[in-house]
Amino acid sequence: MTQLRTEEFTVNMGPHHPSTHGVCRLLLTMDGERVVHIEPYIGYLHRALEKICENRTYPQCIPILDRFEYVTAMSCNYVFALAAERLASIQVPERAEYLRVIMLELNRMASHLLWYGTTALDLGAITPFLYGFRERELILDLFEMTCGQRLTYNYIRIGGVARDIPPQFIPKCREAVKTITEKMSDYEGLLNENPIWMARNKKVGVMSPELAIAYGVSGPPLRASGVKYDIRRNDPYSIYDRFQFNIPTQRNGDCYDRYIQRLQEIKESLKIVSQALDGLPEGDIKAKVPGVFKPPAGEVYARMENSRGELGVYLISDGTNKPLRVKTRGGSYNNLQVLPELGKGLLIADVVAIMASLDIIMPEVDR
Amino acid sequence: MTKDELREYIATRYSGKLTPLDLGRYELLYAADATGFKELARELYEDEQLKFDYLLNLGGIDTKERFEIIYNLGSIEKNHRIDIKLSLPYENAEVDSVQEIWPGANWFEREMWELYGINVRGHNNLKRFLLPDDWNQGHPMRKNWTAPDFIKLPEAGV
Repeated sequence: MTQLRTEEFTVNMGPHHPSTHGVCRLLLTMDGERVVHIEPYIGYLHRALEKICENRTYPQCIPILDRFEYVTAMSCNYVFALAAERLASIQVPERAEYLRVIMLELNRMASHLLWYGTTALDLGAITPFLYGFRERELILDLFEMTCGQRLTYNYIRIGGVARDIPPQFIPKCREAVKTITEKMSDYEGLLNENPIWMARNKKVGVMSPELAIAYGVSGPPLRASGVKYDIRRNDPYSIYDRFQFNIPTQRNGDCYDRYIQRLQEIKESLKIVSQALDGLPEGDIKAKVPGVFKPPAGEVYARMENSRGELGVYLISDGTNKPLRVKTRGGSYNNLQVLPELGKGLLIADVVAIMASLDIIMPEVDR
Repeated sequence: MTKDELREYIATRYSGKLTPLDLGRYELLYAADATGFKELARELYEDEQLKFDYLLNLGGIDTKERFEIIYNLGSIEKNHRIDIKLSLPYENAEVDSVQEIWPGANWFEREMWELYGINVRGHNNLKRFLLPDDWNQGHPMRKNWTAPDFIKLPEAGV
């Protein structure tokens, strides 16, 4: 038989591929079924949010940053408000801090539930999608009840929150916490021991802790690799030091561990929400902030633990009512950057699994 | 190390290389010299007491007179943070890439090169990133670049 010639070829994955969660294009160099090299092409969702923020006053930046990471828009509201409060040394009232923590943790759960559904959908399982969205709906109802919006909230403002919760909120919220706590066993029962799920996820996309730290990976993927680093504990903000909760970590750093990690984080969030509801004090919901907000000149980097990793804002004020620079940093940005390292030598179907397990959201990468 | 110990340590070990700035309102903020920053970064990375192994954020700043670059560094093991700022002239701004030290700097530097026009020496992949491939309208994050209200479409012929 004559010698057959083989050569590498390139495949375009995306930008309109359902498993890329938005519009990310991956240029895959393939050797048969094996991936040799991955090059992500991003920027399809670039809206120049940082430039827009430079031309707006501080309070106007908050609804713009809602669109920065729209699955957990509460966090985007919060991190900008946190940076502005640190610049202007504003003390936020107790009740507002509790309300913020409740909203942030509810939003984290909503995000993880969305992730649970869509990731299973990427790997071919339909039912988890329905389960995840069913409970996410309960949380979105709570948000709608509080601020009228289901996705982009503009609720957490500089100095506090926009409005107080309605009286029905607390019983509804307790009910939602109870329901989700009960349903956790359903989620685990569907996938934890599922042979197809294990075959697709175990030992796929193993990320060593050294690799994760070198690339600045944060959030659940970092902790799934065994690094116990959570900004809620390591650089506490708001009132997280008052609550009892654990920082779960895993050992292997593969796709399966990242899945287990997120489910465990939902359980911890449930604990925090229950404690915050118990401790919710009466009082003001907003500090006295001047109508024209002009923080003194200075700069600050505020960061928080979002469901996708570290969400940070580097905010520079020159003493006027508009920021000089708003540099945003989302967890997905670094988590996507590590994808070429994880995908080398694997099958094309594994790239889908890895990308899903990293929980990339493109508006956060492109901004 | 607590914040005060860190400040003390840097003042003794890195005097002359890192100058404290009082603009930092929450974390320690230092100014460093842009030439030779790569060596300094390696020192900070390898220092047993500091171990800055985690690059949180990197970004360009346009102050209308000069360019500045901010590095937000952290240490996973030691759990402390500092911010370092470089200052560059407006004309022919250039900086060394730090991606050999922190591989995660790659995209941040590429973005900075594209949006601010700050050249990054030793970067392995400086090509269009967030903007369209055929973009030729300058560097949008510079302060002298104003966003047009309407953009004329070339095919409209107006």
